[in-house]
Amino acid sequence: MSVAKEGFEPLIVAFCCNWCSYAGADLAGTGRMPYPANVRIVRVPCSSRVNPSFVIRAFQRGADGVIVAGCHPGDCHYHSGNFFTRRRLSVLRRLLEYMGIEPERFQVRWISGSEGAKFAQVMTDLTADIRALGPNRKLRDAL
Amino acid sequence: MKKIDKSKLEDLWGRLAAEQDLFLPVQQDSVVNFALWQEGSRVNLEAVNSLLPPKDLLFPQSEKIFSYKRREGELSFEEAPGSGPQVIFGIRPCDVRSIELLDPVFFKEPADTFYKNRREQTTLVSIGCLEPDTTCFCTAFGIQPLDAEGADVMLYDMGTAYLVSPRTEKGEKLAEEMGELLEEAAGAEEEGLQQQQEAAASAQEHGLDLDGVFEKLNDMFDHCIWEKFYRRCLACGTCTYLCPTCHCFDIQDDGSPEEGQRFRCWDSCMYEDYTHMGHGHNPRPGRRERVRNRFMHKLNYFPKDHDGVYHCVGCGRCVQKCPVNLDIMQVIEEIGKEGVGGEGHDR
Amino acid sequence: MNLTEKMRQEAAQILESKEADLVIGWGGGEYYWQSPPLFLEDAAGAAELAFSPFIVNNLAKYLLEELESHEKAALFVKGCDTRGINRLLQDHRIQREAVLLIGVPCAGLADREKLKAAGYDAGLLQVERQGDSFILTLEGEEGAREVPAGEFLLDKCLECRYPNPLVYDRLLGEEVQKPRERDPMARVREVQKKPVDEKYAYWQEKLSRCIRCYACRNVCPACNCRECIFDQNAPRWVGKANQLSEKQNYNIIRSFHIAGRCIDCGECQRACPMDIPLMEINRKIIQDLTELYGEYEAGIDPTDVPPLGTYRAEDPAGFSER
Ligand code: SF4
Ligand code: SF4
Ligand code: SF4
Ligand code: SF4
Ligand code: SF4
Ligand code: FES
Repeated sequence: MSVAKEGFEPLIVAFCCNWCSYAGADLAGTGRMPYPANVRIVRVPCSSRVNPSFVIRAFQRGADGVIVAGCHPGDCHYHSGNFFTRRRLSVLRRLLEYMGIEPERFQVRWISGSEGAKFAQVMTDLTADIRALGPNRKLRDAL
Repeated sequence: MKKIDKSKLEDLWGRLAAEQDLFLPVQQDSVVNFALWQEGSRVNLEAVNSLLPPKDLLFPQSEKIFSYKRREGELSFEEAPGSGPQVIFGIRPCDVRSIELLDPVFFKEPADTFYKNRREQTTLVSIGCLEPDTTCFCTAFGIQPLDAEGADVMLYDMGTAYLVSPRTEKGEKLAEEMGELLEEAAGAEEEGLQQQQEAAASAQEHGLDLDGVFEKLNDMFDHCIWEKFYRRCLACGTCTYLCPTCHCFDIQDDGSPEEGQRFRCWDSCMYEDYTHMGHGHNPRPGRRERVRNRFMHKLNYFPKDHDGVYHCVGCGRCVQKCPVNLDIMQVIEEIGKEGVGGEGHDR
Repeated sequence: MNLTEKMRQEAAQILESKEADLVIGWGGGEYYWQSPPLFLEDAAGAAELAFSPFIVNNLAKYLLEELESHEKAALFVKGCDTRGINRLLQDHRIQREAVLLIGVPCAGLADREKLKAAGYDAGLLQVERQGDSFILTLEGEEGAREVPAGEFLLDKCLECRYPNPLVYDRLLGEEVQKPRERDPMARVREVQKKPVDEKYAYWQEKLSRCIRCYACRNVCPACNCRECIFDQNAPRWVGKANQLSEKQNYNIIRSFHIAGRCIDCGECQRACPMDIPLMEINRKIIQDLTELYGEYEAGIDPTDVPPLGTYRAEDPAGFSER
């Protein structure tokens, strides 16, 4: 399912929890740590707010890759949200792979508010991976 | 009469497909459905009935009406592309009749142009049924299993060949396209046909009698009979989606302020939101009302508006596939047993 | 006394003594394979109950609506059905006191498709279980034929681990011994082995058939939300257009919503009119949950917590935690 990769700019949707990963993105910004403009951030209160439907909808509406980022286990600002995230999205990730979606296209990461550099690195790596994979044509119909 | 040898069918399909879209019953897993023919398609002309009726080819499960785009503040619209000529090959007589029942619904002014365009460009090549399935009861509605009145071309299965009988102008045109693939049939084959016809007409064992059902239903709206049927219903709508005559639809939008489409898609009276009004009221609040509506529509409302013709063709799909065995044959029988104006009329 | 008679007697007695004001069981039909769910409020109707090797409908879900208008409902349940009861109890959708469970130990049910494939359908009038055989009553001269039951059992019955009811108030007949004869996860492993693009193509072929009737949801005892997201209009989570991506969307989300809660009853796949192998999706999730978070079978113990409803700090992750 890979299409011509030349000049391909992947579209990446990043669901970032407000308290850690979004703050991490902020820090990357204020610290002038560059990361690719391909990443579109959607701020969510907690990683556990991410409904699997958000992920599917993102692919349906044109995302080439989706990442969910939250606080490190134990640091969730709602006490245990990301522990649930971990279970849920682990299962979802395997399920998507089973349905034929390349696992690289759906990632979950823990990025704290002080990890601006990690944020930039994760997004840079992810963008490179997706660029190598090519545009996503799966879970998607032309309107 | 002309005939075509079964060994020449692949050639025939290749030839027809070059001129128009050709749809045939194609097998996938255990399922036979009409699909666009391509070389190598697993065509199955033996299955009596496709799982989904071919109504989808005239009235698709969803179809775009228009799409829109907004670019730099400019809003532009694009109409759905028109449809081209198509042949539905191997449609059974019950399904041909179902199309004759859909015609007045969609042709009624103001005519539904999407349906009309497709219908006018569709040629129906029907195959008669030698052996009915156990749930076939088309004869109860006066349908001849071996002869579809509304077909453009009728094919009769004679074992190694099909007898070919063009019925309409479109049918003649198609027969011309078949050209030298057709041969002259022998007299004996035509005689065989007559016998087949008689055998097929009596092969169905349903023993259903529709006499009086319509009239009885006139005052069975509040009858207790519906209690008996609705409770097991799961409201899945399978019976309506699989039904060749059901034709309800909804109109929906999909997309964003920047771009999207308006489309129509099948709907079903078995669904909760079917009659859910904007202000929250639902005149058919439960399954009781919905199940009743389905049978009333088929056996009373539709005939009321269409010269007494029932809105079921006895294809048996709903009987086969309803997960809880809500069997329309049984419903018809039970209605038949009720006396007009008798007990149970006031629930 | 055969099972049909026992069922009738039991139902009549329950209704007469007012032990419950509703009995839900299975009736008969015109065809040998029909076994419609039957609702009785009055002892006279009990004669319509019929036991056959086609009593496949899981009646548990009817409780949701019927208990709104009845005080207590008596229900006939097979082994697999009782996991559905436990599901509803665990989800606090029914109260144990409001149901009277009449357990039916189950030696396995017949598969009409397998009978058809062997040439039995037209002319078949009745199928009865007798020991290790099915007795087929045929139209015409032959009358009856005995065939080995094992060849005509539903796949789910070959894969069944709980033929005897797990929760019941009364049992009709003796408990059965019925070892699991097939590994339910075999298909999952086969699909899993395919390269990723082949998996996609495999599911594309299957799911493109989906007509989104939602029979799979409606029949499912684990799908018991008061309002289902697939019925919501605003926001609309899954569009109504007949497009592959919406069908994939629906099927992925449906199976995910019952992750850790699916009782492996196979009703969704049975109800699916389009022959989509839904159990291959549901079981993939069951398998992964077990691999990641430990062996768990839903609907066995109504007091435990399903795996996605809990966590441990030291859980492994199915993604990189770097
Ligand atoms: S109601 Fe049932 S039998 Fe009648 S036409 Fe529709 S699907 Fe066929
Ligand atoms: S197929 Fe059966 S269960 Fe489904 S809506 Fe129709 S009658 Fe009800
Ligand atoms: S799965 Fe088990 S309990 Fe359920 S019908 Fe089959 S054998 Fe009986
Ligand atoms: S029952 Fe089958 S066809 Fe209907 S929605 Fe479910 S998967 Fe699709
Ligand atoms: S998903 Fe299917 S197998 Fe699982 S509980 Fe629901 S109906 Fe049963
Ligand atoms: S608040 Fe960051 S994961 Fe819950």
